[in-house]
Amino acid sequence: MRDVDGRRLTFHLAGINNQNFLMRDEETGSYWQQISGLAISGPLKGRQLTLVLSDELTFAAWKAEEPHGTVLKEVSKYASEYEAKDWDVRMGRGAAVIQFPEHGMQSRDLILGIQTAGASRAFLYDRVVKEKLVASYVGAEPVLIIVGPDGQSVRAFRDRIPGVDGVPDFYRMTANQPGVVLSSALMMDAATGGEWNFQGCATSGKTKGACLERVPMLKDYWFDWRNYNPQTTIWGNRTR
Amino acid sequence: MSRGRWVAVLLVCLAVSLVMVAYPIYVIRPYRAQGARELMAALAVSRFGPVLTVILALAAVAAAIAYWRTQAPVRRRMLIAASAMLVCVLAVLARVNVYEDLMFHPVEHPEFAAATKAKLDPDDKLIVVKIGGSARAYPIREMGYHHIVNDVVGGTALAATY
Repeated sequence: MRDVDGRRLTFHLAGINNQNFLMRDEETGSYWQQISGLAISGPLKGRQLTLVLSDELTFAAWKAEEPHGTVLKEVSKYASEYEAKDWDVRMGRGAAVIQFPEHGMQSRDLILGIQTAGASRAFLYDRVVKEKLVASYVGAEPVLIIVGPDGQSVRAFRDRIPGVDGVPDFYRMTANQPGVVLSSALMMDAATGGEWNFQGCATSGKTKGACLERVPMLKDYWFDWRNYNPQTTIWGNRTR
Repeated sequence: MSRGRWVAVLLVCLAVSLVMVAYPIYVIRPYRAQGARELMAALAVSRFGPVLTVILALAAVAAAIAYWRTQAPVRRRMLIAASAMLVCVLAVLARVNVYEDLMFHPVEHPEFAAATKAKLDPDDKLIVVKIGGSARAYPIREMGYHHIVNDVVGGTALAATY
């Protein structure tokens, strides 16, 4: 969010800090770090922007969920310069100026980062996509990561069913294949036998209509995540 | 004051202005690791540079005028005048943010299309939010170019970044 102390801020891309960009608000001239939302210089130094929950989905997945949604239009005079649709993969071939060669990780490995109170964890994106359903912990918090029917969109949830004690066991039901609609059940929980979809909501069983709590997740390069989460653990670390 | 002192004033103005313009560009440049202290210093220079370089430019012009009124050779007076002009140019350059003004192009007035009319491929990736029943999507092909969109969704002002 860009309202701070009742003042609406307008941000511009104004610099870079170890390949994570800096934003400048035109109202106070303060500089903000993109990944953290923290003001690092200027009159608002120390202030923190509130994170808005967001997803990274394919157009097909999002349109199926939100047929009445709206999409940012191209700015016609720049449209010919726009990036390729696999921009994040292409950028992954670029050099990184800081290195954290731990656990066999490469600087530009794509990860899905989750923070909970006092803990953080990086999930290797390609491993998550391969597994399709990942149940793990970030600190003491059980989390569930689900790959959508399109095989690319990913969401994270708190791995607790409202009204059901303990951490549930979820099982993947369907293979990722074209034509599987988003409202379809993707997984089943062993505790109630209920079926659950990509929105994290039960579509059958005793808990039908209940939804898992969303957990913010950031798709990022390893070096950037590790730079701002020095205590991070890794899920899916690869053997090279 | 002697001519030498006016020259000294002008050279100090020129040197400090040069540093104020060049230092942030040197530190905050792509594909270079930024240390925490040097980054803070560069950002401080970026913030205060526009005002300080104007003060330096005024001082440089005053010194050049004072020098011009002396009986120094014309060539030297021209050189001093050119130096003062250079300090003025640096005061203008200190107001230019390479990233904001040259390298990247913001979305000044974002416009939106209905999902059903958007010209995107099914596998185009989007950053999406939903607030107060309003769903908004930002195609990554566009965000990878503009990087920031200042928007209001469902009554909430937000900055979509990528």
